[in-house]
Amino acid sequence: MKELVELVAKAIVDHPEQVEVTEERLGDQVILRLRVAADDMGRIIGRQGRIANALRTLLRVAAARQGVRAALEIG
Amino acid sequence: MSKEGVEATGRTLDEAIEKALAQLGLTREEVHIEVISPGRPGILGVGAEEAKVRVVPLEAYSPVGEEEGEEEEGVVVKGPDAPEVAKAVEYLEEILALLGIKAHITVRAPETAADGYGRSSAVLDVRGVEGEDLGILIGRRGSTLAALQHIINVVINRQFGSRVIVTVDVEGYKRRREESLRNLAFRLAEKVKQTGRPITLEPMPPAERRIVHLALLDDPNVVTSSIGNGEARKVIISPRRSGRRPPPPRPPR
Repeated sequence: MKELVELVAKAIVDHPEQVEVTEERLGDQVILRLRVAADDMGRIIGRQGRIANALRTLLRVAAARQGVRAALEIG
Repeated sequence: MSKEGVEATGRTLDEAIEKALAQLGLTREEVHIEVISPGRPGILGVGAEEAKVRVVPLEAYSPVGEEEGEEEEGVVVKGPDAPEVAKAVEYLEEILALLGIKAHITVRAPETAADGYGRSSAVLDVRGVEGEDLGILIGRRGSTLAALQHIINVVINRQFGSRVIVTVDVEGYKRRREESLRNLAFRLAEKVKQTGRPITLEPMPPAERRIVHLALLDDPNVVTSSIGNGEARKVIISPRRSGRRPPPPRPPR
């Protein structure tokens, strides 16, 4: 799941080297935290949050395949 | 009951509408009928789905002007051989691999509205291999598929700085949806002609609204338009009244 968020984030930001994803597991709950350069926040979130929402939707698929629930925090 | 009107369900569309009218104490002439779900008869009751409508008193109904929307302006259409398409395939393969989904991608030229003909440069057809069920990639009413396609397009737009878009389809979902939307459009158009009253469909994404517009473009007795904004935007099918010029045909979108 971490790799998925990294792949997508790095592909759409201006500063891929500043993309940082951490993964924390609490039982069947996984919390992913995505950090990007300040001026890349808009790119990750997208207009009306569309990109962030799409990323969360994909993450849901990845989580479901692993039998866990995932949450994505950005910023 | 709110001033938005009432919702009602029934075994058939007519039954649902009658129930709603009874609640409002109005006649069909005094309301705007919005079809939330046309329902399905099912076979011997199996797989049946209730019809659902929202009925709004005409005085409370205000059609919003038909503004052209958003993001698809300035799209450049290239062929399936474009480097943007190759990149899209590459990214889609990587995403599928990370999701642990075994699938095969075929690239082809768009042919129909569901394929994004005229806007999209290529269709990336994803099919499961080794009996892999890709339903999880489609999601409820195609929402996961839409997210996947959006991500892929954002990636290639960012990498190439060009407005090239691709269509992602999974197990022919969009083709099947196109077929059922066309059938729904034809059925509702008949209803509009019979009753002389407009019918509004449930909210749909732009690609699906375009399918409905295109399906009824050649019907001389009805005219289609869209109301609402963003995700709430929906198609309305109205009778085309003779003696009055219909509004200029909407560019299908």
